[in-house]
Amino acid sequence: MSSEVSSDNPIYGPFFGVMGAASAIIFSALGAAYGTAKSGTGIAAMSVMRPELIMKSIIPVVMAGIIAIYGLVVAVLIAGALEEPSKYSLYRGFIHLGAGLAVGFSGLAAGFAIGIVGDAGVRGTAQQPRLFVGMILILIFAEVLGLYGLIVAIYLYTK
Amino acid sequence: MSTKNKKAAGGNGVAPKQTRQQSHDSQDYSSFKTVLFYCMLIVFLPVLTFFVLKGFVLDQFLDISEVKVNIASAVGAVVALHIALGLYIYRAYFGAPGSKGSKTD
Repeated sequence: MSSEVSSDNPIYGPFFGVMGAASAIIFSALGAAYGTAKSGTGIAAMSVMRPELIMKSIIPVVMAGIIAIYGLVVAVLIAGALEEPSKYSLYRGFIHLGAGLAVGFSGLAAGFAIGIVGDAGVRGTAQQPRLFVGMILILIFAEVLGLYGLIVAIYLYTK
Repeated sequence: MSTKNKKAAGGNGVAPKQTRQQSHDSQDYSSFKTVLFYCMLIVFLPVLTFFVLKGFVLDQFLDISEVKVNIASAVGAVVALHIALGLYIYRAYFGAPGSKGSKTD
């Protein structure tokens, strides 16, 4: 069964797909963790003086969590398409590796952006509440960076 | 735990202080409930949507391929996620009952 390995279906073909699925969730979770931690310190510092703003200031944490969900979706998609080497061409392995890396590194970048913006934005919102709209807009622009990675990953996955 | 300590500390004070503390506690509790609800919604709705859509679409339209079913479920999950996020931001920005004017000191 698995003896039908050729140059198109080598035994190491699924390795690339597995690495794609793993890197999708690993790097997205890394970015999400950084975003959560960085904006979490801002929330903790802000809430000492303005505890009534906690509901508004949780938004960066939620947005950082969404980055990890992007990675999760792509990782589940890739993991569902993995098969044994005889049915899994090397080309599909490369495609899946590319999809995983696309969403993973985009998520990492977006998580960094959300963390830094969330930290400064939450601290600033405590001083000037009208900054909130600006913070949300900047966070959304940081968030769509991860969404672009997800779109590219899904587009690659359909190849 | 900390609320209990606060209550114990405010217990030997005057009565209005205690009622204010209680109203703070109830506000904290209601805002905690709201945040918890939306966070659960944002975490679990896309996952649920993904697998429900996958099962449902697979059941209903068997003529489309597996890849397309996966894509449809993934897109549906992401759309559901953003709807939930939009609801949360709307609530935090406009709604937020009890978050206005609660800074008393």
